[in-house]
Amino acid sequence: MTHTTTTGGNPEALRAEVRAWLQQNVPPGWRAAQTGTGQDVFVRSQRDWFTKLVKAGYATPHWSAEWPGGGRSLAEQKVIYEEVARADAPRLILFFVALYHAACTVMEWGSEAQKRQHLPGILEGRVWCQGFSEPNAGSDLASVRTRAERRGDVYVINGQKTWSTLAQFADRCLLLVRTDGSGAPQAGLTYLLLDMKTKGVTVRPIAQITGDDEFSEIFFDDVEVPVSDRVGEEGQGWAVAQSTLASERGLTLVELTQRMRYSLPRIAAIMRERGVADDPALRRELGRLIPKVDAACALADRYLLKRIEGTEAAGDASIVKLAYARTLREFTLLGQRIAGLQGQYREDFIRGGGMETGNWPFDFMNSYNWSIAGGSDEIQRNIIAERLLGMPREPKNWVLA
Amino acid sequence: MSTAELIELRDSARQVLGEAGLAASESKTWPLVLELGWLLVAVPEELGGLGQGLAGACAFHEEFGRSLAAAPYLPAMLAIDAACAAGKADWVERFATRDFVTAPLADPALTLSDGKLGGTASAVPSADLAGHVLLCADDCVALVSLKQAGVERRERPTWDATRRLFDLRLSGVELDPGLVLARGEAARALARRLAAQRDFALAADAVGGAAALLDSTVEYLRTRRQFGRPLALFQALKHRCADLKAQVAGAEALLAETLSRAGDDLASPAAERAGQAAKLQACTVYARVAEEALQLHGGIGMTAEHLCHLYLKRALLNEHLGRGGNRYDLDLAEALLAVP
Repeated sequence: MTHTTTTGGNPEALRAEVRAWLQQNVPPGWRAAQTGTGQDVFVRSQRDWFTKLVKAGYATPHWSAEWPGGGRSLAEQKVIYEEVARADAPRLILFFVALYHAACTVMEWGSEAQKRQHLPGILEGRVWCQGFSEPNAGSDLASVRTRAERRGDVYVINGQKTWSTLAQFADRCLLLVRTDGSGAPQAGLTYLLLDMKTKGVTVRPIAQITGDDEFSEIFFDDVEVPVSDRVGEEGQGWAVAQSTLASERGLTLVELTQRMRYSLPRIAAIMRERGVADDPALRRELGRLIPKVDAACALADRYLLKRIEGTEAAGDASIVKLAYARTLREFTLLGQRIAGLQGQYREDFIRGGGMETGNWPFDFMNSYNWSIAGGSDEIQRNIIAERLLGMPREPKNWVLA
Repeated sequence: MSTAELIELRDSARQVLGEAGLAASESKTWPLVLELGWLLVAVPEELGGLGQGLAGACAFHEEFGRSLAAAPYLPAMLAIDAACAAGKADWVERFATRDFVTAPLADPALTLSDGKLGGTASAVPSADLAGHVLLCADDCVALVSLKQAGVERRERPTWDATRRLFDLRLSGVELDPGLVLARGEAARALARRLAAQRDFALAADAVGGAAALLDSTVEYLRTRRQFGRPLALFQALKHRCADLKAQVAGAEALLAETLSRAGDDLASPAAERAGQAAKLQACTVYARVAEEALQLHGGIGMTAEHLCHLYLKRALLNEHLGRGGNRYDLDLAEALLAVP
């Protein structure tokens, strides 16, 4: 391990260090290299990039100090994300669940044996996926139905998960299952660490409207998971899952809003290329988008500062996500209008190219990832109305009028 | 300047303006402004001020927007800043405590030839109470006496009842050399500085107004009952309020971020663009909140006794103050497109 902390915890000193490192190490021409390729090329390049980042210590700033690269403050982590966005470096999509969701969950809830078993493997490149959503449990996560039946020292799993990012390449899965269907929906959930090679696990990539297949369905047919692979107690799955979902702490949206801001000049360049830079209607739309993008950046930034100070309120995160999702939609819609008919001719897309690749119909369709996944815009609006504005919650019981 | 000090200042302003009541009159609020030294907020300490800078000023503008106070605080602050920039300590003291100097809230159309000023300046608040007006023309920033020959003043009743705006027509107005604040490049820089401050101030006014109006709209929905339940229970209404909340939060965050991005050099192109972005976003959001608030209030919002229309009219006017010609978006696009 070559990493040494040279900046003594000063975020701005770290910024210079990270910036210089990225200048030397971001694979040149990675966008072109990932355009029109299969998943195998994408996976290989993700592995290479992951290995470099781990070596430099920039993949694990949020891990505890005994780990290489770990022990960074949230302010320092923010700096790394900002610099990654600024350098237009590839996003570490294939390893994100491992580095954040899996690592943070195991660190917070795992036994010593589980930590020893799983954490070093993550640094060696083990891929994890998340098995939370189901066909009938999307935004309404508590209604998970995949069953786990205890038989001696194993759980026997039957059911189906879906929308699992890159599960087709995963070694392990963070699996939320139902062990008890009798009480409150949240109370009967249990959290398991599943080996994806276990007999009875079938993964089927989902063909998306963009032509990409970054999500998969996972089917469980009498899959046996050792009880020793359970995290937390039986019935504690909901609480463990909250840790998983909280693990990235707003950093992703700092990165993505800033990437959106850095992509504004790309829109301008395309307007010039297409000879529509003087179109007054497009100019007006562009001019209205600019402060919205700035506002989304400012919201993400201030949210993280609140996290650092510990002053965030319930519902603040929903505002950031909703603002980003809406602004991204507008961004990609404008891109499409600028591209015109030309944009409607199908072009190869970039795997892992982020949210503003310049293939506007692709980007537009891809933007639904942010307005649907991770709690849809509608869920965020409920949270904002109820938590921040103090409006009443939905009644629990309903009858059709 | 610490954040805590700024919050304390803002809270005291909120309390005083709250006690004065919503949309309190000019005759009630202006003496308070003078008495409490609020015009000294942004003045550097070496000139006898509180040294809170533009961020401090904007905290107050936000409170004026929130309370719809009618005092001509914004133009007075611009005039005082110009006096500070010119290093006129005695003027600062006079303008901040006794002599009201106004300034146009829209870009004026003035020309200076042979030392004589001509053209028009519109959207000049409370010009009947001011002794002088601060004007930027070509390569000159100067104070002009409103009693001077060639200065014609006309009140223009506005839909917004919380401001009193005047048009000034100037023909062959002789500049008093003793009242010139800057010439040449210094004047151009000062004019940019004043425009940036005006934009930030309008943004802050809009953010304060939008937040207050959304709060009172949500409060109304929580108490008003129809169909046997509070209106706030209807998801169709909750979601609209949530969208507005996200937009208001975005405008607030952008204002805070652009204020720090603008830094101390308010004449810089970066500060100019930061102010424009903040102004456009905040005023657009304010108008949107006001438009929705009236609809969400239903019939009561159409009555003159209700507060909705006061916010709506101030919001609509705010959108059109500033650079004029409805071109904030075009200017932001142009700045982006100009970078190769």
